[in-house]
Amino acid sequence: MSDLSSSPLTRRDFLSTSAKLGAFIAAAPYVARGADGTGSDQVNVAVIGCGEQGRILINAALKIPGVRFKAVCDIWPVNRNYAENILKKFGHDPKPFEDYRELLATVKDIDAVIIASPDFTHAEHTVAAHKAGKHVYCEKLMSNTVEGARSMVVASRESKKLLQLGHQRRSNPRYQHAKDKIVTGNRLLGRITNITGEWHRAVSADLGFPVGKGLSDAKLAEYGYANMHEFRNWRWFKKYAGGPMSDLGAHQIDVYNWMLGVNPSSCMASGGVDYYKTHEWYDNAIAIFEYPTKEGIVRATYNVLTTTSAGGGYHEYFMGDEGALKISESPKATKLYREARAPEWDEWTTKGVVAAPLSGEGAPPAVKPWEKVGVKKLGGPSKATVDVRETAALSAWDIPVTLDKAIHQPHLENFFDAIRKGTPLNCSGESAFATAVTILKINEAVAAQKTLTFAPSDFIA
Amino acid sequence: MSESSSNDTRCAYTYAFFLIRLWLGLRAFFAGLEKFEKGGAYSFTAYYENMGRMASGITGASFLPLWTTRPFAHSIGYLLILVGVTLLLGIKTRLTLLAHGLLYVALSFGLMVVQEGEGVAWLGMHVILAIGGLLLVQYNRFALARD
Repeated sequence: MSDLSSSPLTRRDFLSTSAKLGAFIAAAPYVARGADGTGSDQVNVAVIGCGEQGRILINAALKIPGVRFKAVCDIWPVNRNYAENILKKFGHDPKPFEDYRELLATVKDIDAVIIASPDFTHAEHTVAAHKAGKHVYCEKLMSNTVEGARSMVVASRESKKLLQLGHQRRSNPRYQHAKDKIVTGNRLLGRITNITGEWHRAVSADLGFPVGKGLSDAKLAEYGYANMHEFRNWRWFKKYAGGPMSDLGAHQIDVYNWMLGVNPSSCMASGGVDYYKTHEWYDNAIAIFEYPTKEGIVRATYNVLTTTSAGGGYHEYFMGDEGALKISESPKATKLYREARAPEWDEWTTKGVVAAPLSGEGAPPAVKPWEKVGVKKLGGPSKATVDVRETAALSAWDIPVTLDKAIHQPHLENFFDAIRKGTPLNCSGESAFATAVTILKINEAVAAQKTLTFAPSDFIA
Repeated sequence: MSESSSNDTRCAYTYAFFLIRLWLGLRAFFAGLEKFEKGGAYSFTAYYENMGRMASGITGASFLPLWTTRPFAHSIGYLLILVGVTLLLGIKTRLTLLAHGLLYVALSFGLMVVQEGEGVAWLGMHVILAIGGLLLVQYNRFALARD
């Protein structure tokens, strides 16, 4: 037995113990469920919204042990039947519903609801699920209005039920490693001064629907849709969604906030419907934020294009005075760079924080399977210096962590672990609210055509 | 053609052949020797690791079974050193040039079957030089043991 008198409680110990105790108390209502005598780790789940994103989440959740699908809901039979059939193939027996209210009233043994419906219904569905006593995993963006997003946080708080938002990069082990071990942990980037980010997509046709499978005008009106075209292409209409910054930029600007640990202080933006004839939301937009970090202002740009895939796809690029991190859900678009002025990274290679590239940028010339390893090969002619003021080239490195699961799976696992074991959520309603406020301000700034500012209180639900 | 001019030509051919012999001898010797190297150290262990990789690499990328590539890979280093030394010393030079040419034809074949065009061209230069040597071998001098 240890001698307590020989280990005096330090201030640090006290704070650490207090924090752990606080976390346990906060998680107690959820942990208690696992100790209710059933001893089961099974989580019963319903899905509201079985379109493209709903199917992605279903497929990811199917790989998680102990998740049991009890119901699926979608107003369109095509989506509903698809989800029901695929779940039946994997041994589940979900009850199908057109109306989420009927689902929540009928199926009583549901623990959690996954919501992947159009943005304008997130608040309505989430608030109803919380009021019915269910935990909620809701797709981003929280809502297409700040008021809607706030109502979701309030409902979670009042019901004491978990609310996780689908900013799944926060649970991606590569992103977590980058944040904890590279950006904040060992500060390999030095003082971050700038961020750029982008999501560039090629032109795509509007979605249609199979002949004879459309919803009636009355049914569409009942659920708030003007017509079948808007129902299928809701992301492009202001009534239903927040536009491309909400659809694509929300993932990445959430990473800006999360990685820096602060919310922006100002936003300016420009965008327009310059290409498509059948859309309400802008098809290209650029936003500029200022982040007031402890070390000074970080200026960040974000660029969403839906008319070209040129420019490198999708990534976030954090730039500091000693290094830079280009990170993406695609491992191929992820790279670390060390400035010539920064200390060598050999120590961090040994510790597994960074890795010398084995392939791609920064890697030694490829060795054929039959060639001897370790032979120095002559490179081509060195790049001509075109300007004597050019700085030395960056050295390229890799992050030695990869995700070997579906990209949404770790985030869903975190949600289910929070229900079962009280694990802290990686993207709670409160923190996602700050992201929603950040994103929706871009749309305001595009309309206002001037710089808008945030007050710290704006980010609190 | 005067006798003096004929002597000059003969002298030039003699030097030309000597250069070819020297180049091919050095090239074969060091091509064999580097197969024993790994991480800056030379050993028989390194040789069999390097050659094992070569054999399995060619087998993996072609129709050649391992039982053909492995014996070739395990012997090529020793043969290149042997050919290199005999060329440098001038022992049975005509025969050695033929052996040198055949070794590089065999190596080229290995790269042909894995569609490594640049490597084939590179090795082809060795074969062409061996052919040049055979055409000039009558001018061989400075040899320990003539044909």
